[in-house]
Amino acid sequence: MFLVGSFFLFAAFLITTCIFVIFSKNPVNSVLFLVLAFLNSTFLFILIGAEFVGIILAIVYIGAVAILFLFVVMMLDIQITTLMFNIKRYIPLALLFAGIILAEIIYLTVFKTSKENLDTFIRSKNNTEQIGDVLYTEYFIDFQLSGIVLLLAMIGAIVLTHVYRPTIKRQNIESQNSTTAQDRVKLVKINSGEGIKDD
Amino acid sequence: MTSLTYNHFFILSLIVFIIGCFGLFLNRRNMILILMCIEIILLAANINFVSASVFLNDINGQVFSIFILTIAAAEAAIGLAILVIYFRNKGEIDITQINQLKD
Repeated sequence: MFLVGSFFLFAAFLITTCIFVIFSKNPVNSVLFLVLAFLNSTFLFILIGAEFVGIILAIVYIGAVAILFLFVVMMLDIQITTLMFNIKRYIPLALLFAGIILAEIIYLTVFKTSKENLDTFIRSKNNTEQIGDVLYTEYFIDFQLSGIVLLLAMIGAIVLTHVYRPTIKRQNIESQNSTTAQDRVKLVKINSGEGIKDD
Repeated sequence: MTSLTYNHFFILSLIVFIIGCFGLFLNRRNMILILMCIEIILLAANINFVSASVFLNDINGQVFSIFILTIAAAEAAIGLAILVIYFRNKGEIDITQINQLKD
């Protein structure tokens, strides 16, 4: 009973914050509500025993992605605009989506009551060990490929946003390495009373 | 309805997904809100994967959820980089002005 109550609390918060993300006028508020939505889904994941994914969601989304959004929102000068809310144009779409939700709910609650219960499973290992067993053996190639995807995204983001300024003086490593001692120093023999003659 | 079932999570993820889709449709000005709506849609997919994985006692769903998280982070980085260079060139992020490449 506690589980169901907590589920409904967090689910209601999640849906409310998702709605606020869309309908906030200020993009900074939208980003902060997005953080709250991710936090609520973290709670939901921990509630059903998927602790590892929940904590990863908190670290990756709240700690990295949402803060990246926040930095970009603060960097850009965005004027506060309202939604172009032309309700007549979207009524068929809204009815379609509402029909889909209604059909799913009726199908799930009336025709297909799920028998799965959380208490029936006996777990010999904890969640992190279970994921680690599969992730580093069966999904090893996929794991490496996702690392390559992240590397490509990093390189792509740097290449896209990098600004080349030709006025900045930089180190020219090639010319530094190719110089010899004769280019920079020369030995001058100074005779008495003559001084150094310029070439 | 006294115990938590997969149906609860399925309906929740459906509702979150449709909220994200509606954000994409309704919002026609701000490009950063479109990226946030894509994040919401990916979150709905994650909720579905993880809850199915837990209720069917199969760990593969959670592994796929981690992969979705990776791709979402990469997508957010690239999307925001594109947003930043677009803002640097145009001085605004109004998506109704993006179709200037046609002219």
